[in-house]
Amino acid sequence: MQLVAQIVLNGVLLGGFYACMALGFSIVWGVMNVVNLAYGSMIMIGAYVTQMAVLQLGLPLAAALPLAALATFTMGYVLQRALLNRLAERSVFMTLIFTFGLNMALINLNLILFSADVRSLPDVFGRASFTIAGLSVPYGRATIFAVAMAMTLGLHALLNWTPLGNAIKATSFDPDAARLSGIDVPHVYALTFAIGGAIAGVTGALVATSYSFSPLAGESYTMKAFVVVVLGGLGSIPGAIIGGMLLGIVENLASLFLDSGYRDAVGFTLLLLVLILRPRGLMGRRFFAEVKG
Amino acid sequence: MLSVRGLSAGYGGLMAIRSLDLEVKAGEWLALMGPVGAGKSTLLGGLAGLVAARQGEIRLDGEDIRLLPPHRRLRRGIALVPEGRRLFSGMTVRENLMAGTHALADPGMRRRNLDRVCELFPVLAERARQIAGTLSGGEQQMCAIGRALMASPRLLMIDEVTLGLAPLVVESLFAALAELHRQGMTLLTVEQNVPLVLAHADRGCVLSGGAIVLEGPAGVLRDDPDLPRHFIG
Repeated sequence: MQLVAQIVLNGVLLGGFYACMALGFSIVWGVMNVVNLAYGSMIMIGAYVTQMAVLQLGLPLAAALPLAALATFTMGYVLQRALLNRLAERSVFMTLIFTFGLNMALINLNLILFSADVRSLPDVFGRASFTIAGLSVPYGRATIFAVAMAMTLGLHALLNWTPLGNAIKATSFDPDAARLSGIDVPHVYALTFAIGGAIAGVTGALVATSYSFSPLAGESYTMKAFVVVVLGGLGSIPGAIIGGMLLGIVENLASLFLDSGYRDAVGFTLLLLVLILRPRGLMGRRFFAEVKG
Repeated sequence: MLSVRGLSAGYGGLMAIRSLDLEVKAGEWLALMGPVGAGKSTLLGGLAGLVAARQGEIRLDGEDIRLLPPHRRLRRGIALVPEGRRLFSGMTVRENLMAGTHALADPGMRRRNLDRVCELFPVLAERARQIAGTLSGGEQQMCAIGRALMASPRLLMIDEVTLGLAPLVVESLFAALAELHRQGMTLLTVEQNVPLVLAHADRGCVLSGGAIVLEGPAGVLRDDPDLPRHFIG
């Protein structure tokens, strides 16, 4: 019983991280109908920026994290404004092919800049942990969970309580009506992609603190984001949290019975089950419209 | 106020409007009528910037705005309530209204415009926190007009205000438009209910096949025995 409780707790902590990661992928998909296959590479760029900021500039992690977010935010804005907006009116396959190609380009850019070596930051948090109700919580995991939840709440606040959030939601419902309401839609699209990028950057910074990474490791993050978004339902913040938690818990539970090499297989099995039994995801497809009535 | 010369507009290669001239004077209510497919919605879309205007000029107070995107035209005072209302259906009434304020130069105007809209349509204040998609048809139309008014327009264009609404609701919407008109708003409305709109408007235009075929003061058009002929496509 104690063991199961510990595993569920580990799953929840990991799930919070998955939820935050998936939001950057989900908002771009939900608002612009763009499946960003380069998302994992943007996470890797966040991880590299964090590592350089810490190791070469000697910055504390708390300063490296916003720097990583700023880098991928800027990258996201420029990519959408300069390139993706030109494809926005066309078929979804065009944007899919574009982000597929973008992913290849970013992977190779990372290979040139940082080589294929697997890197990690020197263990920032060590093995230290604290205990709650007899369950052990490593500081590193707890910090990642806290930052991820803060990002999630921040995104919720942005979407529901700011003029920019209002513009993003309006654009996701009806781009033409948004234009007629005075919203500069190409600018809002670029900012949405930039916000997705910033979340990827923060995710990358969190990855750098606790996991090893390499240019090719990004793909598995894209895949996980995809699983979480489809599990929870597209474009929903509660959906991303539920999808993330579910994936985190199931992955951890599976490691009790199966070799850890099956981790991804378990996630995808879960995805297939949800797609068969409830194709619109657990939370349905409500877009970024969860508003208190 | 608005002066259109030789305007051609349409979707793709198809020009629904061909070298059209139109004049809208400040403070007047101009009713645009015509059979289905005459190009009425395309004309309003072209004026608002939603439909590409290929040729001609659209002058607002002398300045050619033909190539400006919709949000910059709205900033200069041209608002369109599109056909079918096009509310942000999953957002609240209040959020829909606030979505109309993005082109406002002075954010301080938000509060004032919100008060004005709620005064014109008190039901929107009561329903402020309701999801717009769950409003009745008439309330949705009020919300759509309210959203356009939130941008402080000088010229309000409305496409098919009465579409699919009960007579009683239509009456109260027209009363609201008449009130706006009385306050000095310039109105350009597309309407199928010809007798109703000619009872309120100052002037009318009949559009057919992408061109204006009949034009005149509302009182004259009302009694024109030729008027119905233009509606038979």
